[in-house]
Amino acid sequence: MNYYTGKEEGLVLCTECHTIHQFIPDVLMHCNRCGAELNQRKPNSLARTWALLLSSMILFIPANMLDIMNVTYFGQDDPSTIMGGVIVLIQLGSYPVAFVVFVASILVPLFKMFGILMILLSLKYHIDLTDKQRIKMFRVIDFIGRWSMLDIFVISILAALVNISGVAVITAGAGATAFSVVVVLTILAANSFDTRLLWDYKKLRS
Amino acid sequence: MLCAECDLLIQNKIIEEGSYLKCPRCGHVLYKQKYNTIIKSLALSITALICFYPAVTEPIMSLSMGGKEQHQNIIEGALVLLKEEHYIVAVLTFMCSLLIPLFRLLLLFYVTLSLSVNYFSPHLFWTFRLYHYMEEWGMLDVYMLGVIVSVVKLSSMAEIQFGFGFWMYAMLLICSIMANNELNHHEVWDRLLAKKKAFQ
Ligand SMILES: [Zn+2]
Ligand SMILES: [Zn+2]
Repeated sequence: MNYYTGKEEGLVLCTECHTIHQFIPDVLMHCNRCGAELNQRKPNSLARTWALLLSSMILFIPANMLDIMNVTYFGQDDPSTIMGGVIVLIQLGSYPVAFVVFVASILVPLFKMFGILMILLSLKYHIDLTDKQRIKMFRVIDFIGRWSMLDIFVISILAALVNISGVAVITAGAGATAFSVVVVLTILAANSFDTRLLWDYKKLRS
Repeated sequence: MLCAECDLLIQNKIIEEGSYLKCPRCGHVLYKQKYNTIIKSLALSITALICFYPAVTEPIMSLSMGGKEQHQNIIEGALVLLKEEHYIVAVLTFMCSLLIPLFRLLLLFYVTLSLSVNYFSPHLFWTFRLYHYMEEWGMLDVYMLGVIVSVVKLSSMAEIQFGFGFWMYAMLLICSIMANNELNHHEVWDRLLAKKKAFQ
């Protein structure tokens, strides 16, 4: 079956209000109904996604190496990293919660960065993944990304709540800042990727 | 019709009430034939807004440790981080758990109320666009899970009790998720466009 895209037919979709317009090249178009900017594809989508992805990958290293929080319990300091926090939960015997934290703060960011990297590389080097696989992967990545903020929220709740001087004080560490920036960058990377490119590239090759 | 995710050109089809039209190539939901979602969304957003104030000002939980007790609400949580100079973490937490969800609820309330009482202003278009843009930055659900994880983490060293704020936050979460899921964006846009034509 032969598919035609809006771009080939000289049309552009307003992604906000779902109306279709005739595309005029080289002009900054705005939707005459809702006022949103009109683009056939998100501008510089691949370059932006690459830049955001690489920055998030670099920052992921300090996010995991530096302490995300410090627990002072009866005068004794006990700093911990992300993985350290998971291990503490395992030692406490709360396996389900340890699993949730491990998934949200280690597996999800890794899967997300690796997934976007795979999609970008497969476009660049024509690795054969079917479009269905790519779009499914992207949708999963897009959906799970925000859940990585879990650990950041936990730290801010703990730091605020456990603040009884002389008994126990919890403070956030530098790793928390790095990790929160990683999460924001990966969300932005997924947002700047234009899924319509997946099919454009396929057509280019065939 | 054009698919927003793969740009496929699709001939208009007639869809039955209550059903979806899916893109044959990528599976993206193109159109939902579901009406009367606006009034339900309005009711839910009002309920959520009512819950908002106690959810934020009442303590989420209280903790007693070594004979001392401490209560905590969400705003104080962000303030402590600011004092420790973790600006990025503090601002992000504050935005995602509080400011953006509140702002989105207000936008939703404004749009659904305007449509329900037949009021029209050109602002409504960007209001509703903004509501959609900020969707994934409102993280009430993630924060809620964060509260539960914190309780488990602290259970070994202290006694924890959920405060009134926790239950209000849970109500707020449920209402705003329902308000968001109930609303058919296509219906909102269709109604807004019809209003715009009528007012011109
Ligand atoms: Zn538009
Ligand atoms: Zn499609």
